[in-house]
Amino acid sequence: MADRVQRCLEPGLSILVGTVDPHGMPACCRGIAIASSDRLETLTVYLPVATSQEAIRNIALTKRIAVAASHPVDHCSTQMKGTTIETRLAHDEESAHVQRALDAFASTLDRIGVPRQLTRTVAHWPAFAVTMRVEDMFEQTPGPQAGCRLR
Amino acid sequence: MIVRPCDIWRCFQGVIPSIIATADRHGIPNVTYISQVHFVDERHVALSRQFFNKTSRNLDENPAASVEMIDPVTLQAYRLRLKFLRSEKSGPLFETMSMRIDAIASHTGMTGIFKLIAADVFEVQSAEMVDGFLTEPCRNEPAGVSLEGKRTEIRGLQWVSERINRATDLESLLASVLEALEEYFGFSHSAVLLYDESRQRLTTIASRGFGPSGIGAEVALGDGLIGTVAREQRLLRLPSLEADLRYGRAVRREAASGAGTLQAEIPLPGLPDAQSVLAIPLTVRTRLVGVIAAEDRDPMRFSEWDEAYLQVIANQIAFGLDHMIERADDINESAPPLEASAPPPVRPAVVSRRPPLRLTYYKSDDAIFVDDEYLIRNIPARILWKVLGESQRSGRTDFSNRELRVDTALGLPPVKDNLESRLILLRHRLQEKCPDLLIVPTGRGRFALRADAPLELIER
Repeated sequence: MADRVQRCLEPGLSILVGTVDPHGMPACCRGIAIASSDRLETLTVYLPVATSQEAIRNIALTKRIAVAASHPVDHCSTQMKGTTIETRLAHDEESAHVQRALDAFASTLDRIGVPRQLTRTVAHWPAFAVTMRVEDMFEQTPGPQAGCRLR
Repeated sequence: MIVRPCDIWRCFQGVIPSIIATADRHGIPNVTYISQVHFVDERHVALSRQFFNKTSRNLDENPAASVEMIDPVTLQAYRLRLKFLRSEKSGPLFETMSMRIDAIASHTGMTGIFKLIAADVFEVQSAEMVDGFLTEPCRNEPAGVSLEGKRTEIRGLQWVSERINRATDLESLLASVLEALEEYFGFSHSAVLLYDESRQRLTTIASRGFGPSGIGAEVALGDGLIGTVAREQRLLRLPSLEADLRYGRAVRREAASGAGTLQAEIPLPGLPDAQSVLAIPLTVRTRLVGVIAAEDRDPMRFSEWDEAYLQVIANQIAFGLDHMIERADDINESAPPLEASAPPPVRPAVVSRRPPLRLTYYKSDDAIFVDDEYLIRNIPARILWKVLGESQRSGRTDFSNRELRVDTALGLPPVKDNLESRLILLRHRLQEKCPDLLIVPTGRGRFALRADAPLELIER
């Protein structure tokens, strides 16, 4: 489990975010970075302001969120589900973390054929910082184990 | 900005995986990657379901879904709001989507484990560009087929047909087809594999852009990308080869951690860093003649060509090949017996000053090695061993196709024996691996053995 927590917080990850409105209509968007200081008991995901309006609206109404962290090269993926405990605009001192995450993601994609310069054009700042309590953690690497509960 | 699904066709190539969000009846969201989003029509898309357990359960409870797709050229994102309609587990849509997954599964040694469970069909309720996704404006040129494009396609067809008609023998036909594919279509790495029904295998008989080592490479019917195309007799275009293989390998790793034995991965026959593949079956009526395979380092290389159009080109090539093979058989059958023919202009079989070439025929493997390096196997190996033995015993250097056909020990099928293509393969393998020993055509249905070094023949 410690290894999996570590892998979820490594640089270069693809971050997927799922939310839902009060009528059950789901929405997806891409996150830029994640951070956790308590071994994924809680998790902060950074969402670009430019592209996460629907997600933020859903979170404000239902507080439900799912975050999947996936390694683009080997597809090792983990999904964390839970309840949002804070939504705020990310502070200036967090911008370096978000920028590093985007740079690492660009490097990873560059290895699999997506030019680094192209990935760097993805909007990433300003960002919302959404902190969630991780209530469930699932294996999501494609294969027969996908969907199994990790925690 | 609202878009039409047909406007974002590059997103459907699967180069960058799409994501899907669903929610269960309690309003708990779920988000995951999708391996394949298939464009059905302007109002419908289909998603592949392999291991979609939670997504499938959610869709049964709540048909709403949201999908985000990315254009691999511009990186612009688009979001589709979908409503789940039905799962298809058979029929044309299922077969089309299954083909791609089966090919990847076979290539990664995952046949029967990594497979399509269903093609989930959704109604597209809205499709929008994600405004602000990129900090710089995307350069998304309009798609669509212009009149000029149609004219180009007709000219391409004419070009290939002309090359086929001009060919005088099977070898020149194969070369000119690959040349035409490169000159007119820009397929610079391509190969033709001919099907041997008696062995249920395909053998690379001609290639262009891969270097000579691809000649003679074999694949069993149903194995790997090309074997799957041959078995299904359906065109396969994988613009996302690299992504699909990574996905397949991820599944393989996960499956390997459980029980069961997995087959060895079949190496790609061409470019080690291919990003996209196009494989077209060559059929005459329902009979498989072979497969044309093309590869490229550009993931979008083959996406612009309409599949129906490529199939027409393939039909031209298949008929041309089949006709040429049959004609070669006719010519060979009408060749005069050896005694009545003029002596071929070949050099003496042995030049004693060169170090001897050691050729070893391994009976159990039905293969010939030259100085410990693999040369050829199966029927072409038996042909070479026959003529080498005869040459050593009698000093004879010229041979006829007819005498090969009547020698039952060679194991040629009684009909459609593909002798001409087997001799082409043998000639190419000798040129590549053993240039001091050549098979030279000397007339209709006749060839000569030319050795520029002493030969040492060993049978084990």
